[in-house]
Amino acid sequence: MTDLITDADLVRLFPGQPLTHDSAAHYRGRLEQRLLINRCTDCGTWQQPPFPICPKCWSTAVVPTEVAGTGTIHLVVFLYQGPPAPGVDYSTPYPVATIELDEQPGLRFTSTVIGAPNDDIVIGKRVTLDWIDRAGTPLPVFRLAEGAAT
Amino acid sequence: MSTISSHNPMKNAVAFAGAATTGFVAKNSGRSQASLAAQACTDVIKACGLTAADIDGICGMVPSPPEMQTMLGIPRVTWFDNPVMPVVNAVAVATAAVFSGLCQTVLVYHTPYRLPWNTASSLQDPFRGIGMPAGSGPGPESIFGGVGYTAWASRYIHEYNVPREHFGLVAINDRSNAARNPGAAKRTPLTMEDYLSARMIRWPLCMLDMDLPVDGADAFIITTAERARDLALPPVLVNAVTLGMVEKNQEDQTPSLRNHGQQVVVDALRAKSDFWTDGTDIYFPYDGFTPITLNWFENTGWCGPGEGGQFVEANWNAEQQRILIDGRIPVNPHGGALSEGGSQASGHIREAVHQLQGLAGERQVDGARTALITAGGYFFNAQGLTLVSD
Repeated sequence: MTDLITDADLVRLFPGQPLTHDSAAHYRGRLEQRLLINRCTDCGTWQQPPFPICPKCWSTAVVPTEVAGTGTIHLVVFLYQGPPAPGVDYSTPYPVATIELDEQPGLRFTSTVIGAPNDDIVIGKRVTLDWIDRAGTPLPVFRLAEGAAT
Repeated sequence: MSTISSHNPMKNAVAFAGAATTGFVAKNSGRSQASLAAQACTDVIKACGLTAADIDGICGMVPSPPEMQTMLGIPRVTWFDNPVMPVVNAVAVATAAVFSGLCQTVLVYHTPYRLPWNTASSLQDPFRGIGMPAGSGPGPESIFGGVGYTAWASRYIHEYNVPREHFGLVAINDRSNAARNPGAAKRTPLTMEDYLSARMIRWPLCMLDMDLPVDGADAFIITTAERARDLALPPVLVNAVTLGMVEKNQEDQTPSLRNHGQQVVVDALRAKSDFWTDGTDIYFPYDGFTPITLNWFENTGWCGPGEGGQFVEANWNAEQQRILIDGRIPVNPHGGALSEGGSQASGHIREAVHQLQGLAGERQVDGARTALITAGGYFFNAQGLTLVSD
């Protein structure tokens, strides 16, 4: 289905996002609610952000690959002000968290954490992937994992 | 394997012949960056006893070197460049250009300017919004840019369990120092109560943790040490200069607080310089965000990881409400980015030059002969510079 989404469509659907020939597949994945991260098919190294070559072995056989969406909060900030975005109300400070994904140490993805009071969103907590709507397109976000804390 | 070595053939061969500033204001000045830069540039050229015809290299961002050459009527140049911030980068390339013979006398300049990305009130001047449309960024779910320092501040608190007061001391030190600097934008005293009650912008950092958007300009003349000795002011020699960056340098992929650009700068600058923390008379750690300063203390080796705040407390002069390391070494005596104004390190460099020339007014450190500057943050902008008087 997303094969029918042209590059021009992506530019229209994801305003302000860093779209290039190297990141387009990641954004096509978002439309199917699949979180795709580049992985080298020769040596297995994951990379983020998406570049067209493996930094470990210089193979160009790099393929956007779905991740499990599980991980651990590595960094977190709470925005008391910030850029305007639909559904984002800074009257409650808005959490932005960098998640260390389980696939590889140091492989991280940044988004928000939903469904929990800010006091519970702390470094070290386990999270799982979820999706919300952002101006008509799916946005990958995270929820605290059930009953889990490290 | 490390490629870092002590090899430094241009050590002390290139010098600052002078430095000048407009002073900074934390409001829209009603002037263009060209106007501010022209003032600082003509001031420094004249102070060195030079004319436009003596300049054969131009190095700065705004206005561009071609615009600068036209504006000041500089007849012919053999080298020019427009390096990215912070400003130690400009010093590095200008020093290398002089040492290599690409040119002999470089005009280096930087114009801190209030723009929509660092203060919304800049838009009260309609010219400042041109070409900078609002809402064109990636949205809130990102830690790119300044948010990255806030995110790593939360990690710093998590790893070392330090109180926000440790950040506050950095802000108070800058403010107390700025009181002695007539060119500083904020000079009224700051208390810890003021710090703790300041408006939160992005937890854990508040308004007073972030550098001050200002209008102003700094300008420098960099030339051979030999030529500088024939000019009007005492030369300040470039002992060593370096930049540092590691493989994973994006804000959210940076490996850790102990593995980013600062560690590379420390390793390289220390190897290439004639002195380090035990030999410097003044220390200039970057302070665009308060936790950067604490991390520079730790990574430079003044104290251990997570001990930056305790180090500041142990070297705090309560009467003067500022840091005096070993009762002697001031830290950002001009007021730094938080109180003189956010200059992307041009203020730190200019103050170091003035101190080593004996031209720092009531801030003058008696007998200052060495300065250690560790500029920039963690990701793709860590830099270092050591300066010595001739």
